[in-house]
Amino acid sequence: ATWRYAFEEAITDVQGVYASKFKEHIEANSDHNIQLFPYGTLGESADTMEQAQAGLLQFVDQSPGFTGSLIPEAQVFFIPYLLPETQEALDSFFRNSKAINEDFKSIYAQHGLELLKMFPEGEVVITTQKAFEAPAGLDGVKVRVMTNPLLVESYKAFGATPTPLPWGEVYGGLQTNIIQGQENPLFWVESAKMYEVTDVITFTGHNNFTTAVMANKRFFDGLPAEDQALIQEAMDVAFDHIMEYQRGLSERSLEKILEQKPGMQIVRLTEEQRAPFRAAAADVEAKYIEMTGDSGKALLQQFKQDLEAATAE
Amino acid sequence: MTTIMVSAMIVLLLLGFPMMIPLIAAAFIGFYSMFGGIEQMDFMIQQFMAGIRPASLIAVPMFILAADIMTRGHSADRLIDMVMKFIGHVRGGLAISTATACTLFGAVSGSTQATVVAVGSPLRPKMLKAGYKDSFVLALIINASDIAFLIPPSIGMIIYGVVSNTSISELFIAGIGPGLLILAMFAAYSAIYATIHKVPTEEKASWPERWQAVRRAIWPLGFPVIIVGGIYGGVFSPTEAAAVCVLYAVILEFVVFRSLKPIELYRIAKSTGLITAVVFILVAAGAAFSWIISFAQIPQAILASIGLADASPTGVLIAISIAFFIGCMFVDPIVVILVLVPIFAPVVASAGLDPVLVGVLITLQVAIGSATPPFGCDIFTAIAIFRRPYLEVIKGTPPFVLMLVTVAALLIAFPPIALFLRDLAF
Amino acid sequence: MSELRSSRHASALPGPLGLIDSWLGRAEALMLGAGVLLMALNTVANVIGRFLFQNSLFFTEEVNRILIVMITFAGIGYAARHGRHIRMSALFDALPVGGRRWLMIFIALVTSLVMFALTWLSIRYIGSVADSGRILPALQLPVWWIFLWVPLGLAVTGIQYLLTAVKNLMSDDVYLSTQVRDGYDDVKEPHE
Ligand code: NA
Ligand code: NA
Repeated sequence: ATWRYAFEEAITDVQGVYASKFKEHIEANSDHNIQLFPYGTLGESADTMEQAQAGLLQFVDQSPGFTGSLIPEAQVFFIPYLLPETQEALDSFFRNSKAINEDFKSIYAQHGLELLKMFPEGEVVITTQKAFEAPAGLDGVKVRVMTNPLLVESYKAFGATPTPLPWGEVYGGLQTNIIQGQENPLFWVESAKMYEVTDVITFTGHNNFTTAVMANKRFFDGLPAEDQALIQEAMDVAFDHIMEYQRGLSERSLEKILEQKPGMQIVRLTEEQRAPFRAAAADVEAKYIEMTGDSGKALLQQFKQDLEAATAE
Repeated sequence: MTTIMVSAMIVLLLLGFPMMIPLIAAAFIGFYSMFGGIEQMDFMIQQFMAGIRPASLIAVPMFILAADIMTRGHSADRLIDMVMKFIGHVRGGLAISTATACTLFGAVSGSTQATVVAVGSPLRPKMLKAGYKDSFVLALIINASDIAFLIPPSIGMIIYGVVSNTSISELFIAGIGPGLLILAMFAAYSAIYATIHKVPTEEKASWPERWQAVRRAIWPLGFPVIIVGGIYGGVFSPTEAAAVCVLYAVILEFVVFRSLKPIELYRIAKSTGLITAVVFILVAAGAAFSWIISFAQIPQAILASIGLADASPTGVLIAISIAFFIGCMFVDPIVVILVLVPIFAPVVASAGLDPVLVGVLITLQVAIGSATPPFGCDIFTAIAIFRRPYLEVIKGTPPFVLMLVTVAALLIAFPPIALFLRDLAF
Repeated sequence: MSELRSSRHASALPGPLGLIDSWLGRAEALMLGAGVLLMALNTVANVIGRFLFQNSLFFTEEVNRILIVMITFAGIGYAARHGRHIRMSALFDALPVGGRRWLMIFIALVTSLVMFALTWLSIRYIGSVADSGRILPALQLPVWWIFLWVPLGLAVTGIQYLLTAVKNLMSDDVYLSTQVRDGYDDVKEPHE
């Protein structure tokens, strides 16, 4: 059969690499065909999500943060410093976390979706015009954020002025100084050319962009057992591949950026410098619980337990 | 399926159906043959909503509103008077000024539809009065507005840059050369046209007359200052500039000049809303149509049947030009870029082409395709705002399309037209 | 074009239906005018907030989105009422009056059918969005609220085209809408 799979990035970005690996494995081991639909070819995130729920698409890759309007609990990924900051801990966290592998599975199932895999896409960095080492350095700096209450709360707590701007106007906005900063995973800073219009990349460690691949639940439940097993297997293969790919990705992106713009300043905040930003997480957690109630609180609790387990190893 | 969709569209179009019907009917057919029923057709409505979702679209009603206020009040007249005092004695001067104004306004505002309205509505009556034929005037306005795709900031180039992983700054700079070349060709054509059709010139104005015209235009000259200063000074985005212009136009016409009564503002807003609606319903229907084309992977199927793998670099460039030109004839340019760029990416890479050159060529095709029938937002906007029949609006288009195609051919033959400035800067 | 002026909000429908129809026309006009002005106000307020007070209005983008949908779908009904939808009329215009009249009846009937079909689809779509419980991130309102104007506007447009067919059936002239006779030269802005 022909299965359709939509994701939120270009085919050469992380989600595209993951999807291509999945396609390769399925097509090599069965008679099924996978058609890939990169960002924008079938609409925006909310559109492809609806299409997957209705079964027009069999698979969809959707970042939980963007799912917030549908599944408020999924915004837990916007809480800063909730995910491990090292690659090893991150790997273990995504493989073993109960929150991700069990709790989210049942949350998505309520929306007609079979959660197949969650994986990290890379550390979120802040790019700005001037370097900063403490929240005071962000005073009066307009940082573009999506219109999400938790992101807004985060950047307020970080000392910046969170500023909404449609994605299409971010590049121009940085060029003309309407905004002086933005946040994105590092590979995206490279591929969307954000480095051309900002001068400093700061690693704050506050987040790692997470995304999730889901299948339409009716479609998945209706498949014969061997197809379900094949899909799970292909997801595992793609996951191993993407974790391996991630290992050098950050360095490769940085290299490319520095090659294009040797003057780009790279700042990695030390553990002490991160402390005041870490403290900001409390405000955001409060806001999250206010928005999601008991179910959000329970999920957050589980996340913290899983984080402890992952970093203890 | 493709054949039935396109034939149904053309038949309904020619019969004189409201333009949304051919698009919707083609989408109906696409959905029906893709899904074998009507169960999934709700998603046409989803795509209607997606089509009119982009935040940048609000520039269209805002600039329509500002332009309408300026035209009904004194601002537009005074600005045009001033320009005429300087160039009225030059043959084709008014046409050349119009083309230049379209290019500059389009470049800054980032919206070609807004340009058609903002520059076209005050200048078209003047050009008609000066003796230019309407077919020439309309085609000039539409095509000159589309030059804006090539001049930064260009949303088309930003999207291309992200999808193809190409430097946006380099694209911006590389677009300027071809953009100016097109403007120069349009200006030359305007002068020739004015000479052949013996468009009368005005008597050369004296310096005191010119000075007086400048003084009368001092308040309206605030518009370019606000737009350019506001955008490059980081006060607002190009989209927001449109709304700020509305505010300034209201202040000028209702407070400073007192040329309009307050109730007029509501009436102008209402007619703005009407024009916006008839254009945006086509944007919405077009989104549903392009969604099903994309979902059915029709471009992939067509391109696979051509067999581009062994083509020479020039062959690839020509194939890209034709594909984007045809795509933009029917579908929104942004969607065309998102769908086609990844399909061509491997061929571009294996042919060893400069992605910046490819980007400029694609942007040029987008500009040509948007001004070319049957479907084009700028054509629709011109029909809605000037209230002329479809055929009349496009009648004067062929010479302009010819010039644009010539530039595309020149670009393929001599890439330095685009890359010269880029290589100078980087 | 005296006819348009004398029948600004007059309806082609008899009695109470006509009254409803003419009030609907007024409501559409109000949505258009007020919608456009609110959009300007909303956008400028965000600029002022950001530039002068370092404080962006997070709801600006969502409010504009609501207004765009409202303007578009209130506008298509209004445009149908005033015969303002964009079409390619070259072949149509070349026909004699009788042929044009019958073609117009056909066009109007098919168009109204399509509009009613879309009305039904949009109600189904809104139902599914409402079921999903999606909310707007900044305004925290249900997303389906944005779309309420869609079926209404489509249905009104469908009714307008149906009435246009009836009007053409009952008259010897060709009518582009219930209020506008064919021909581009006799049109005026639909001001009240
Ligand atoms: Na531009
Ligand atoms: Na076109």
